[in-house]
Amino acid sequence: MKAAANKHKVVSEAEWLKARKKLLVKEKKFLRLQEELGLERRGLPWVKVTKDYVFEGLNGKQPLADLFEGRSQLVIYHFMFGPDDKLGCPHCSLRADCFNGINVHLKHRDVTMICVSRAPFKKLAAYKKRMGWGFTWVSSGNTDFNFDYHFSFTPEDMAEGKAFFNYKIQDPGPSEREGHSVFYKDQRGDVFHTYACYSRGK
Amino acid sequence: MKPDGKKEASSDVRNHPVVAHEQWLAARTAFLAKEKEFTRLREELSPQRRDLPWERVEKAYVFDGPRGNETLADLFAGKSQLIVHHFMLGPGWDAGCPSCSFWADNYNGIDIHLKHRDINLVAISRAPLASLEAYKRRMGWSFKWVSSNGNDFNFDLNASFTPEEVADGTAFWNYRKQKPDSTEVTGFSAFYKDPDGQIFHTYSCYQRGVDMINGAYHFMDLAPKGRDEADLRPTMAWLRRQDEYED
Repeated sequence: MKAAANKHKVVSEAEWLKARKKLLVKEKKFLRLQEELGLERRGLPWVKVTKDYVFEGLNGKQPLADLFEGRSQLVIYHFMFGPDDKLGCPHCSLRADCFNGINVHLKHRDVTMICVSRAPFKKLAAYKKRMGWGFTWVSSGNTDFNFDYHFSFTPEDMAEGKAFFNYKIQDPGPSEREGHSVFYKDQRGDVFHTYACYSRGK
Repeated sequence: MKPDGKKEASSDVRNHPVVAHEQWLAARTAFLAKEKEFTRLREELSPQRRDLPWERVEKAYVFDGPRGNETLADLFAGKSQLIVHHFMLGPGWDAGCPSCSFWADNYNGIDIHLKHRDINLVAISRAPLASLEAYKRRMGWSFKWVSSNGNDFNFDLNASFTPEEVADGTAFWNYRKQKPDSTEVTGFSAFYKDPDGQIFHTYSCYQRGVDMINGAYHFMDLAPKGRDEADLRPTMAWLRRQDEYED
């Protein structure tokens, strides 16, 4: 796009303003759509989680319910870091650099945000230290969690190049994929799966 | 209810429908089509943003930065694209605006990646450099932050207003005459520097236009309660500076 940038249209302030205001109308419309979409997303039904997933974290074994850390909403980033990987995925690391500093605010909106990967906890802790991150990161390596929620795929899936990923049967690419899962815990301690997104996040 | 008859964004999660996985999947897959349509709309909007004409920057702005006087051209730090956060910290203020600080918590730490996309990201405020540096230390941030104190930059980019403009509601804010709450407002501006060193103003956004820069809000959008601000006045009444939350 370098050549295009060099030939870009340059105008007076008045003309710039006219064009900018026209785009502002479209930007506002887009924000309204975002709000509508948010409402619809929260309107999706939930599914009760009936399996007892136990993760490995800083404090040893932790059931899914403990990962909420006393809050009612849990947002998980499925960070691509498989059992045999030496390091976390660079793309996921970019995303982590983007959300590393926001936990303090999410906590005050009743949201606990953490990362989950299949690599052993020791590897996650070492990589987290290297990157200087502060979020909680637990291992699901001894559970079906990643497979049940379609973020990890079996050798059989991989051999056939067919897996249920982003809500359709397709070649998922690598055996670990990134995305978000969201859970809600009610006052009785029941946990519900509310939302998941994959691929481009959409 | 909103005036248009639509339901308020509700954070009420009591009695939410709970279904079997197959039913959830059917609802989720139907919703995915709408999310994809939204992503396509964003992809249409971004090229339109980049297609906006540019205006040449004629004034020679000089900022007060960690290395002394720095021109607007210097702030590009060898890159061709500069993104400025107009951070609300006016002369005489004790601390930066909590909302701007929330935004900064979102982008602190990403400038290393932006640099490798030919973008330099800096924050600019009107308070003296010593105030900015003290507050930056307190918040533990590492991004570059310079003072425009004494130059017209913030006023020309409609991110600062005179006390008179604020008092009589004639501030040209977010592309119309309005009455902001203070002489400083938040926003982002983008600039391009060509190989001859000429600088162009390419884009600015204010008010809710800065939503796209805040990842924390987009994470809340995924959670069952959403942003959960419908009953708050102001909507961000929950927000504190990162070191001012009580628990």
